[in-house]
Amino acid sequence: MQEQLQKLEVELREVTKNKEKLRKNLLELIEYTHMLRVTKTFVKRNVEFEPTYEEFPPLENDSLLDYSCMQRLGAKLGFVSGLINQGKVEAFEKMLWRVCKGYTIVTYAELDEPLEDPETGEVIKWYVFLISFWGEQIGHKVKKICDCYHCHVYPYPNTAEERKEIQEGLNTRIQDLYTVLHKTEDYLRQVLCKAAESVYSHVIQVKKMKAIYHMLNMCSFDVTNKCLIAEVWCPEADLHDLRRALEQGSRESGATIPSFMNTIPTKETPPTLIRTNKFTEGFQNIVDAYGVGSYREVNPALFTIITFPFLFAVMFGDFGHGFVMFLFALLLVLNENHPRLNQSQEIMRMFFNGRYILLLMGLFSVYTGLIYNDCFSKSVNLFGSGWNVSAMYSSSHAPAEHRKMVLWNDTIVRHSRVLQLDPSVPGVFQGPYPLGIDPIWNLATNRLTFLNSFKMKMSVILGIIHMTFGVILGIFNHLHFRKKFNIYLVSVPELLFMLCIFGYLIFMIVYKWLVYSAETSRVAPSILIEFINMFLFPASETNGLYSGQEHVQRLLLVVTALSVPVLFLGKPLFLLWLHNGRSCFGVSRSGYTLIRKDSEEEVSLLGSQDIEEGNNRMEDGCREMTCEEFNFGEILMTQVIHSIEYCLGCISNTASYLRLWALSLAHAQLSDVLWTMLVRVGLRVDTTYGVLLLLPVIALFAVLTIFILLIMEGLSAFLHAIRLHWVEFQNKFYVGAGTKFVPFSFRLLSSKFSDDVA
Amino acid sequence: MLGAHCPVRTRAPEHLQFGPAPQPGHPAPAMTAHSFALPVIIFTTFWGLIGIAGPWFVPKGPNRGVTITMLVATAVCCYLFWLITILAQLNPLFGPQLKNETIWYVRFLWE
Repeated sequence: MQEQLQKLEVELREVTKNKEKLRKNLLELIEYTHMLRVTKTFVKRNVEFEPTYEEFPPLENDSLLDYSCMQRLGAKLGFVSGLINQGKVEAFEKMLWRVCKGYTIVTYAELDEPLEDPETGEVIKWYVFLISFWGEQIGHKVKKICDCYHCHVYPYPNTAEERKEIQEGLNTRIQDLYTVLHKTEDYLRQVLCKAAESVYSHVIQVKKMKAIYHMLNMCSFDVTNKCLIAEVWCPEADLHDLRRALEQGSRESGATIPSFMNTIPTKETPPTLIRTNKFTEGFQNIVDAYGVGSYREVNPALFTIITFPFLFAVMFGDFGHGFVMFLFALLLVLNENHPRLNQSQEIMRMFFNGRYILLLMGLFSVYTGLIYNDCFSKSVNLFGSGWNVSAMYSSSHAPAEHRKMVLWNDTIVRHSRVLQLDPSVPGVFQGPYPLGIDPIWNLATNRLTFLNSFKMKMSVILGIIHMTFGVILGIFNHLHFRKKFNIYLVSVPELLFMLCIFGYLIFMIVYKWLVYSAETSRVAPSILIEFINMFLFPASETNGLYSGQEHVQRLLLVVTALSVPVLFLGKPLFLLWLHNGRSCFGVSRSGYTLIRKDSEEEVSLLGSQDIEEGNNRMEDGCREMTCEEFNFGEILMTQVIHSIEYCLGCISNTASYLRLWALSLAHAQLSDVLWTMLVRVGLRVDTTYGVLLLLPVIALFAVLTIFILLIMEGLSAFLHAIRLHWVEFQNKFYVGAGTKFVPFSFRLLSSKFSDDVA
Repeated sequence: MLGAHCPVRTRAPEHLQFGPAPQPGHPAPAMTAHSFALPVIIFTTFWGLIGIAGPWFVPKGPNRGVTITMLVATAVCCYLFWLITILAQLNPLFGPQLKNETIWYVRFLWE
């Protein structure tokens, strides 16, 4: 390909040079023509006209010149004619006057249209001049001055016939030159068009070669300077494939000596490679955006595949909206091989890359929408409500029981704006709705009171479980890195702290749900007050949730109080004890193996004559890890900071999970408002106008649903779900300090190709 | 709704027509009595099948681990969510507050 390009370059250069020459020629000829034309006007007298006087014409008379008269006088009269740049005219004239002391006559006139200077290519104004002089010496001086001022001098014809001849000749030559130039330009355009067709593939080839050379630059020469050595990281599972690929490459390129590789042990930290397919890639990107995992640590992306859409759905929970989102994501997934989607711009590309995330989010939102019983802000009554209104009427009960309960009759109902059902009245509440929230709550005015209590408790329960799961994943980390002491000194106190306080909170919530009912509702204690009192030890003996509560709580507080110092000081003290008992503080980690590859096919490229046997270069790549200074203060500080962060974080992170409640409340209310303001207005109008009005109302409802509820709320819930994962979940166990394993791949370059060419 | 005729029946104004009241002494029929045990059994079995039995049927392949994790996580999350919801409604401490039109509507159409 290189020769092709070189040939093309040479050809183009030649053609361009020729063109330039021709153009210059053309310009000169044009100037000559102009000059001839203009100087003709200087000579007013006809050649045949005989002059009457015989003396020298006066010097100021510069329009009449009779050279035949001069000739008769015997003086040698010379002419210099040409063109001069406009800016230099006065200086030229002055110089001539000073030098020749009046023995020259200069005539000049301005050319009307500006011409192009053949050398510089600028368009400037020219002056045509005609200098007449007599005498050899003056002639030389004049010529020198003309040279100095860069005038374009052209031979001046002596007779009119000569001039005519020259002019005709010039005209024909100019015509010829025009045609030739035209043809040259056409040819040039043809050549360039042909080259432009193949430029795209050439660019890609050149880029690929450049990338390969870039990689080769990173290799180093060995002692004999005959082969290249590359130190690479290779996943252990791919070692066999690598060997095979090397053999195949050597065979196909026809190298006399094949490349080979050895594995070398090393203590450096390898990069992190996590294999993903098109489904898991999106979730892995979410985790990687926070930080690429350290080598061999637990990958939270595995669990994020489900917990992220689930937490999103808890905040988004609407059957209808979730279904629309699911359909949109399904559209993207089914058309993922459509070429236009692959190359779309930024925003569409983001949606496309997250299509599987959207799919799962939509699915889970459908489920939570079912449970919240919320479909475009309306509830669905599938199984029949568990609340019975008729049972509140006094007519449903025996008169004997009327005194104990507040019951209704028609008058009361007609005269009160709102009435509340009382679950302690028998028959009013007949059991919990089997799937989700009872549909009667959608009709109730105190809907939010119930829902808030329910959602807050749900958020706290989900949050504590999520965080405990995070701590447990940390245990897996410690097990893998064989730091068992971490489990006993860090993870177990963390778990105890979390569970004794917040696990107990969950227990209280569930206990209150199970044990307290409408009959005991008057004495049902508030969970929040109880929880706070657990720490405050109030003087007054309030009724607890259950008997023996104080003892249980005291026990839990003791366990917590004991686990805190263990969390603070356990690990540093243990490490100190280890250090004093052993000479060098070395963390036993399995050494990582570093693969080296000798590539000897480069020998043929480098043109070396004598090809030697490639030696088995076993460089000792095992770098000694120096015995680290055991810095007790630093370890203690780190652990104290970690512990404080954990303990305070427990409380704040648990409260942070309340955003699950907050966002789902916001979504439900927005949805409700949209319905009330739009569709209900459309549905309440009577039938004559109603049909016409309903159509734009539904259209507006759909548009606003998509933009406000789906896009805005969706983005908001997405963001908060990410925050919950990154901060509250991952800071329980994730370090995320690794580097990503980025192998050389043409596929990675191909995206850059399309960016550059597009 | 029992069609028994009640001797005492107030004449309601036009916009609030009440249906015939049931016979005194008989509580309204529990048309929608929900048991607690039945949904628990059904849902526990359902999510238990997905979360515990499902992993045994995942075909061997590179994605086996991911699929098993997904199944278990889905089962746990969804079951937990449903369980919290039904537990929260098991013993309500207060009831819904309805407008009188809603009361009439619910009484007339749902019961």
